[in-house]
Amino acid sequence: MTAFLIRRIGQAIVVVLGVMVLTFVMIHLVPGSAARATLGTRATAERIAIFNAANGLDRPLAAQFWTYVQQAAQGNFGISYSQQQPVSTLIVQRLPRDGLLLGLSTLLALAVAVPMGIFQAVRRGRVADHVFTVVSFVLYSMPDFFFALVLVAIFSVQLHLLPSQAPQAETVGGILADPRALVLPVVTLTLGSLAGLSRYMRSSALTTLAQDYVRVARAKGLPERLVLSRHVLRNSLLPVITVLGLSAPSIVAGAVIAESVFNYPGMGLLFFQAATSKDYPIMLGSTLVVGVATVLGSLFADIAYSLLDPRIRHVDA
Amino acid sequence: MPPLLEVRNLSTHIRTRRGVVRAVDDVSFTLEAGETLGLVGESGCGKSMTGLSVMGLLPPGGSVLAGSSVKLDGRELVGLPERELRRIRGNDIAMVFQDPMTSLDPTKTIGHQVAESVLLHRGCTRAEAADRATEVLGLVGLPHPRERLDDYPHQLSGGLRQRVLIAMALANEPRVLIADEPTTALDVTIQAQILALLADLRSRLDMAVVLITHDMGVTAGHTDRVNVMYAGRIAESTGTDRLFRGMRHPYTQSLLASVPRLDQDPERQLPTIPGMPPDLTAPPAGCRFADRCAYATDRCREEEPELTGPEGPQGHRFACWHPTDGPLPADATVVTPRPAAAPPAVAERPLLEARDLVREFPVRGGGLVGLGGRTGRGGRRVVHALSGVSLSLAPGETFGLVGESGCGKTTLGRVLVGLDRPDSGSVTLDGAELGRLRGRDLRRHRRDLQMMFQDPFSSLDPRMRVGSILREPLQIQGIGTATEQKARVAELLAEVGLPARSAELFPHEFSGGQRQRIGLARALALTPKLIVADEPVSALDVSVRAQVLNLMNRLQAAHDLSYVVISHDLAVVRYLADRIGVMYLGRMVEVGTADDIHLRAAHPYTAGLLEAVPVPDPELERAKRGSGITGELPSPVDPPSGCRFRTRCPLAQERCAEETPALRAFGPHHTAACHFPLQTPLTEPAPAAAAAADGTGA
Repeated sequence: MTAFLIRRIGQAIVVVLGVMVLTFVMIHLVPGSAARATLGTRATAERIAIFNAANGLDRPLAAQFWTYVQQAAQGNFGISYSQQQPVSTLIVQRLPRDGLLLGLSTLLALAVAVPMGIFQAVRRGRVADHVFTVVSFVLYSMPDFFFALVLVAIFSVQLHLLPSQAPQAETVGGILADPRALVLPVVTLTLGSLAGLSRYMRSSALTTLAQDYVRVARAKGLPERLVLSRHVLRNSLLPVITVLGLSAPSIVAGAVIAESVFNYPGMGLLFFQAATSKDYPIMLGSTLVVGVATVLGSLFADIAYSLLDPRIRHVDA
Repeated sequence: MPPLLEVRNLSTHIRTRRGVVRAVDDVSFTLEAGETLGLVGESGCGKSMTGLSVMGLLPPGGSVLAGSSVKLDGRELVGLPERELRRIRGNDIAMVFQDPMTSLDPTKTIGHQVAESVLLHRGCTRAEAADRATEVLGLVGLPHPRERLDDYPHQLSGGLRQRVLIAMALANEPRVLIADEPTTALDVTIQAQILALLADLRSRLDMAVVLITHDMGVTAGHTDRVNVMYAGRIAESTGTDRLFRGMRHPYTQSLLASVPRLDQDPERQLPTIPGMPPDLTAPPAGCRFADRCAYATDRCREEEPELTGPEGPQGHRFACWHPTDGPLPADATVVTPRPAAAPPAVAERPLLEARDLVREFPVRGGGLVGLGGRTGRGGRRVVHALSGVSLSLAPGETFGLVGESGCGKTTLGRVLVGLDRPDSGSVTLDGAELGRLRGRDLRRHRRDLQMMFQDPFSSLDPRMRVGSILREPLQIQGIGTATEQKARVAELLAEVGLPARSAELFPHEFSGGQRQRIGLARALALTPKLIVADEPVSALDVSVRAQVLNLMNRLQAAHDLSYVVISHDLAVVRYLADRIGVMYLGRMVEVGTADDIHLRAAHPYTAGLLEAVPVPDPELERAKRGSGITGELPSPVDPPSGCRFRTRCPLAQERCAEETPALRAFGPHHTAACHFPLQTPLTEPAPAAAAAADGTGA
């Protein structure tokens, strides 16, 4: 297990470095410049040159990249052009809020998708299965921002039940103190990943239900409830965990949209604002965070997998 | 007193998309404690569905029809609420299934899985259940059961897993055990052990056993009475001895006749049953076997025969208008003299010669998520698949390869046709060494070496039409124009006995036997000199198996082919092969003519393997109970020193651990590698003589 962890962490570092190179190059390939975005379209060439020199933007790309890596290694992602604050401070402020939002919605999605998938598999081909299938395909085909707008239209505008703006508190505790405002962003993100997860769960449970050991469990005289909870659940979860780990990027992408719609003060909103104002340091910093999150996601998936599946835990035993 | 288990007029229907399958139709039988009843027949005859109906475990869409009755000790089970049935399932009636590799939950320890049914039915504490699990795992012969409770299924071999499954079934001392093909997935040596275990447990626990099997040898040795099933109905029902000696139903007769026996005359065609079983969504009127029966008359096609005759232990019931009497005479079929292949020592030049083949595979740490590839600190761990194997093959000869799974026979087959390269050693075909050939030369030589695979379902591309499948080798080798290729496809189809329109169809439109014919046609397409057939008939039903075996023999004679036939079924190899090689853990331990191996086996392993093969003769089969090879195949990663068989050999002595035995000659074509052989060797091994005979074993 230790050797495995060391190897996986080694891989993770390589992946993160790759992410840094790619994002750095791509951001500098995008037309427009930070100077124009910050100083406005009517800035003189002279002022732009001063801005570029002050921010090191006049140096060759490779040199800029090297500086970026060196500083990043020390936790220094530069100063935001637009907010005049260290990027690391901004990220540290916002990351816990994202942990809250994404963690809650992912847990909620799992809590609904797992039973739903198993239920559909058990009822395969019956009316309930078809109804849930239609529902998940409708959800699956809708973009996240559309859910968000529909939810706002119904629950805030029409019914006045829930606020349309997310909690604006600084701390996680503050956000939790206003749970009503948290409902819509969480639900939006949940719906976004629910459909896919429940489809995976359904097909995985169908495979498990057809396994011989499930028949053996029934032949023991186990009630169906115990067959499902003891033998079907864990075995069906295995492939879903991998999918979940690999879907970390799309969860984050969902967050960018949901946070902008609900004005939730998280990384997504920070990134969205930075992208519109060409705030390179923030974009680089937050892309890196997403990259790290993705790598960590699949690392956690592997670890969870090995905990659930003894065939991996006991290699060569 | 009512019988322990009484099944009356059981009919089971399964609703599918194709229609309602009448899987079981009006089946009745009784069973007493201490008795084993065989349910015998080919796939789809309803034998498993009968077992599942008794358990109340039918697949989705399945239901037992009204009017059916299953009584345990006089208590009706059909129509009982699910909650009541669950109390009986796994407690009074238990079931053992076919495939031990997939029948255990991979994420739970075996202790947990065995204790689960104890906890469920006995209402005891966890500790008590664990104790009972230990006890019952010991009963089924799992070594050190207490220490192994926390093992996961993947840590056990197939044989041990089947023991765990039996332990699970026996945990609550059921009164009826339904064993559905319990040994079909196992090697013959392990099969013999498991069957002996079941027989022993039956008498110790005074259980009634329903043994569901397609294997007439297993039936002969391990049942008291037999129900032969065909197309959902019982065709014949009687005591085992009477069934084998004085069967009355033509189906039983032809089923038994089509099993190749160890004493089969290889020059005589196997009797076959033409055609296929009827479609059970629309079973024919009249006798269901009529279409395939040699004795059928108009009456058989119109009027369905009832199962009649005296019931009871001495009874004999059968459903036939024109019953036969006793087995088909041995000389009932055509003799096709085989081309007398000159054994390689006599042949001027062998077609194929393999020398000292070594093939090793690195052990890969398993895992689905990239955890593999770890190498231990102690250096590279390898599976010793082939450790110095030599053989030569004359033109037109058939060489049979036998041995337990994991002995390296499939690897050898792949190396011989050039699908895999040996780490050292050489394969020479017609004087050209395959390992030295590259590019175009290699491709040209591949024409002469073809392969026929075991699984007729996965060895044909499901999205290619049969015509394209058969043309592909010709296209790759650039043989002939499109028109010529199409003509060749038609010719090939005719040769393997398939209609010409088959070329337009997809593989799924054929039965298993027909697909195996397609596989053979594909192997023949390039008119090869050698076909390596890896378990060519083991996935087929008995009656279809005989058809394919006859076809292989006929084509060999017609094309002067050489075969290497790999099989775990010694009777099949005996029937096809001129010479047989016995492999054990990557080494060839004995080579000889079919008679050498079967009548004068020199290696204790060969003798034990033959002993373990169930023969379809009740008297012979019962006489040998308790013998055979004990234990399991050691790991090929860490094979025993010296003679690799010594850990399971009754004759092993110290010398066997210290010194690897060389192949010694026991006859003109007969060699074996053993220090203490069962036959007297011709001479003491002079190194040169041993090498000349057939290479060395080390």
